[in-house]
Amino acid sequence: MAGNRGATSLRLWAGILLLGFLRASPAGAGVDQVRLRLPLKPKLPLRGNERITLAPFIIVTDPEKPKDKSLQSIDPQAEFHRFLKKQLEKKTKFDVVEAPKDVKLPTQNLVELGKAREFWASVGAQTQGEIVVSGSLEFKVEDRSGYKSEEYQSPVDGRTYYRQIYVEQTGYTFDVVFLVFDGHTGEKLLQDEFKDFRQASSRSRDELQGLFENLFSLENQILNTFVPRDREAERYLFTD
Amino acid sequence: MKLDRIIGLSLLLVAGGACTSYSHPEKASTQIAFGTSVAKKGMWREAAFRYQRAIDAEPNNARAHNNLAVALEAGGDFARALAEYKKALELEPNNDYIRRNYTRFAEFYSAYTKTSVKASGGR
Repeated sequence: MAGNRGATSLRLWAGILLLGFLRASPAGAGVDQVRLRLPLKPKLPLRGNERITLAPFIIVTDPEKPKDKSLQSIDPQAEFHRFLKKQLEKKTKFDVVEAPKDVKLPTQNLVELGKAREFWASVGAQTQGEIVVSGSLEFKVEDRSGYKSEEYQSPVDGRTYYRQIYVEQTGYTFDVVFLVFDGHTGEKLLQDEFKDFRQASSRSRDELQGLFENLFSLENQILNTFVPRDREAERYLFTD
Repeated sequence: MKLDRIIGLSLLLVAGGACTSYSHPEKASTQIAFGTSVAKKGMWREAAFRYQRAIDAEPNNARAHNNLAVALEAGGDFARALAEYKKALELEPNNDYIRRNYTRFAEFYSAYTKTSVKASGGR
């Protein structure tokens, strides 16, 4: 009995020491997952202290559509301007100004808007903006409900089958196209698009909250247009 | 008595293992091991240097190319990282870890490069 206990204890000690050896030796190594922060250079090579003019955006949302009627109380233009101005002032050293209320876009077509050099140069001159930001905004309720195939294991025969299940998924989509212009020449410097979908619980659906969830999830990408940001990522590293 | 001998021998092996971990700097595996240990502490430039040494020792070591790609990515040198991932995958096309790294990187990099900046805005 005592001999058995001694042998068990011996095996236990040997196991612990072997584990310790394997940890100390590279021979026991393989792969590690690491988290890294990817430094993202700003998309626009700016000095960092320019005067930026926020001009109106084309609003794509159609409040006459039945599913968008709930959005009638929201002014995406004002909310987005307020959000963008606040974020730029808080996280950058730009001098941010809004274009005067009487500035009206010359067209509601995004492609033509991007080519309206004279108009953008005049907005730049009027507001003393070195950079002028405009584009289009779309905020809508999106119903993505539908049938999806799901894998399941039968309790009868233990085999794996596929079945169709109905998944209810309603949420908010925010799609912003950025057009950035040189305030002196009116030349388009950059065009970029950011899109986000946030699922919403139908019982506690609040449109304004949905809009801000979209905006905050896009915050990093939007700011990266003007200033350096970083992004978390996971990668595998071999250890020997 | 026998137990004492086994414990003593095991301790000797542990100490030996610890001491010899980085004792062959000419070996690619030694440089990779050291590179990864410093990478985990956030010293990515040193890690990249170590992985490059590993590649110099063994140019066809896919793991070294993969690790160098990760270190370059962490330092923001995405164009070189892409080249290193491609090389790693070319050397070991069936390595699941390299493939996963490359897929994640490619997804990120394509989104990163999709925007084209026409001209310098700052004056």
